[in-house]
Amino acid sequence: MPSGAAETIAALPFAPTAAVLEAAIALLARTDDGGAIDSTIRREAFAAFEALPVPGARPGRGWKHDYAKLSYDDLRWTNGRVTMPAAPRRPAAARPDREVDQPALATDNAGGLYHIGATFVDAPSDADPRVTVKPFDAATARAFAAELAGVHGTLVDWRADKFAALATAFQNCGAFVRIPAGVVLDAPIQLVFATAPDAEAVFPHIVVIVEAGARATILERHVGEGDPFVCGIVEAHVADDAQLDYVAIQQTGEAARAFVSRSAYCGRNATMSWHLAELGGTLARTVLNARLANPGARSETAALFFNTGMQHVDLTTGTDHVVGPTTSDTVVRSAATDRGQGRYVGNIVIRPKAHGSDASLRDDALLLSKRAHIDSVPALEIAANDVKAFHGATVGSLDEDALFYVGSRGIPRPEALRLIALGFFEPVIARFPSEALRDEIRTALDAKIDDATEFVS
Amino acid sequence: MSTRGLITRDLRVAVQGNEILKGIDLTIEPGRVHALMGPNGSGKSTLAFTMAGHPGYEVQSGSVTLDGEELLSLPPDKRAKAGLFLSFQYPAAIPGVSVANFLRTARMAVRPEDLNPTKFRKLVFEKLDTLDMDAAFLGRYVNDGFSGGEKKRLEMLQMALLAPKYAVLDETDSGLDVDALQAVGKSVNALRESEEGQDMGFLVITHYPRILKHVPADVVHIMIDGRIVKTGGPELADQIERDGYDGVRDEVAAARA
Ligand SMILES: Nc1ncnc2c1ncn2[C@@H]1O[C@H](COP(=O)(O)OP(=O)(O)OP(=O)(O)O)[C@@H](O)[C@H]1O
Ligand SMILES: [Mg+2]
Repeated sequence: MPSGAAETIAALPFAPTAAVLEAAIALLARTDDGGAIDSTIRREAFAAFEALPVPGARPGRGWKHDYAKLSYDDLRWTNGRVTMPAAPRRPAAARPDREVDQPALATDNAGGLYHIGATFVDAPSDADPRVTVKPFDAATARAFAAELAGVHGTLVDWRADKFAALATAFQNCGAFVRIPAGVVLDAPIQLVFATAPDAEAVFPHIVVIVEAGARATILERHVGEGDPFVCGIVEAHVADDAQLDYVAIQQTGEAARAFVSRSAYCGRNATMSWHLAELGGTLARTVLNARLANPGARSETAALFFNTGMQHVDLTTGTDHVVGPTTSDTVVRSAATDRGQGRYVGNIVIRPKAHGSDASLRDDALLLSKRAHIDSVPALEIAANDVKAFHGATVGSLDEDALFYVGSRGIPRPEALRLIALGFFEPVIARFPSEALRDEIRTALDAKIDDATEFVS
Repeated sequence: MSTRGLITRDLRVAVQGNEILKGIDLTIEPGRVHALMGPNGSGKSTLAFTMAGHPGYEVQSGSVTLDGEELLSLPPDKRAKAGLFLSFQYPAAIPGVSVANFLRTARMAVRPEDLNPTKFRKLVFEKLDTLDMDAAFLGRYVNDGFSGGEKKRLEMLQMALLAPKYAVLDETDSGLDVDALQAVGKSVNALRESEEGQDMGFLVITHYPRILKHVPADVVHIMIDGRIVKTGGPELADQIERDGYDGVRDEVAAARA
């Protein structure tokens, strides 16, 4: 129990080993009543992590990154809680508004959580009283066991995904969010993960339940100059007639890695919208899934990444039309310059019972330097009749005629390149749910153009 | 001695090794309208692109000067800043870039000194009105999904806002309906009557004399096979419309023989 004047965080050197897992389990037993996830499950998940194959180079043969060679050196794993006496972290200097120069929780919100590394440090005092937003710890797991059942550990199947398994074994932070039936929120709920000064292994689990007829926007941010290894799970249950806009923005340090698997379940006439911007880090592996399990369900996915320097992004979207009629619309825009590398795998499955469904998948990639590379691998699997399925993909460089046209209007070539490249992302940016977010992403992309060393075509 | 004018001297241009322009001498004086006619593939657009600095056109010899300033060594944006405007035969689309943003960026690039946002906005609306264009255009992406006529109107809107010293209109009239043609004519004339546009020189590339009814030409040139083979008054345009290019070809052959 806390007793000192200041507090500290219990930490271990991280490695994906059984010994570290046992130490983590022991630490959680001491400090968080066993933690949010049962130790039996953690051990099973760790066994799955070890048994599952390393995600390979295929599909998309140009992708050269080797997940087998991931380094876990110099990472700290914490218990995600501020519990023990005596230490430097919590007081004013580490408060959110000083730690990062992002608007973060300071902006208009209906509630949220602020983490530094895996440590939950703050929540807004004026959160909307109708919604539940809790750190994902032992108390939350116990209090909301009924709500979590069938969602947590189910929507993202850690038995089939190596990194989801790792995230489950070592979970040390996250959020539980519930929007009660019929509640419509104007402001977003913000879940902020600011990077800690030391490199941390951060394993968030985020569970969102949007009850029937409710509407909400959730903003998951990974920000800061630090270089964590983030490996997480997001599970969203969108009940009948409900709507969820889920925005994920990753803008972490140059050596950061962010692996997050996100999956949503959609009820009857429910709409799930994923909005993703991968802007930072050195390696991002992201999965965005939607399961359209009831008639009238709809998913919209808008994702972008822009790889400069040595950045790698590996994005997979998956839309499962389980029944009909259900609709989905996926738009992905990616660009790479310098030695940036990207891979996009777009899966759409239309199952035998999904008559009358309509799926559209459009992805365009822009290569801005000779050594940049992006693979695009759309995969449509259609087992039902009378469905509409569209897919279109392009990989190209900047259009010389467009550049000349812009130049002929007095705009110098570097600015013309910038204008056209930023315009390229607009179809995805336009789908983000607020002008503030859209502007923020435009500004971030603009800054990335400044940072790119090769920006010619 | 005056060097004023948009002037080409012995301009020879090749595309992918093939000589297309075989020595063009043209002088577009301030305030005057020159029409350029010629059969398909004779090199009219090549001349326009070369003047504007398209990198795909290899200048083999000659010069292009604008009020004495050599353009050929300048990149396209500097030519625009020097006062040249090209209305494209096939304007490129720039998806994701709104017309409003594009107009503002272009104006700021060409005339950074006088961009008062309120005044600029007023100016844009005034020009939209002249061209019979809906303000909704401002929110659309540049030429993205525009009809042929809409693209040409946007070219004219840009010209009006940039108020260049010389404008090359490459088939701005092609594919326009009667109303659009009238709007284009109105816009050009409004510009010529304005203070900033009164000295503008025009090179109007066209296949039809009908645009010249709205924007009367002082001089008409005929280009065949990369050469200006004949220069005359406005009546030359009507003669071409009536008789086609065969008469001119015969004259040229006779003169050579
Ligand atoms: N980028 C290019 N690549 C290859 N050939 C070209 C290119 N541009 C022009 N040409 C060739 O140069 C010649 C002149 O073309 P240009 O477009 O200048 O003709 P034009 O007089 O404008 O014709 P039109 O009346 O059809 O517009 C044609 O034979 C054309 O095929
Ligand atoms: Mg032409």
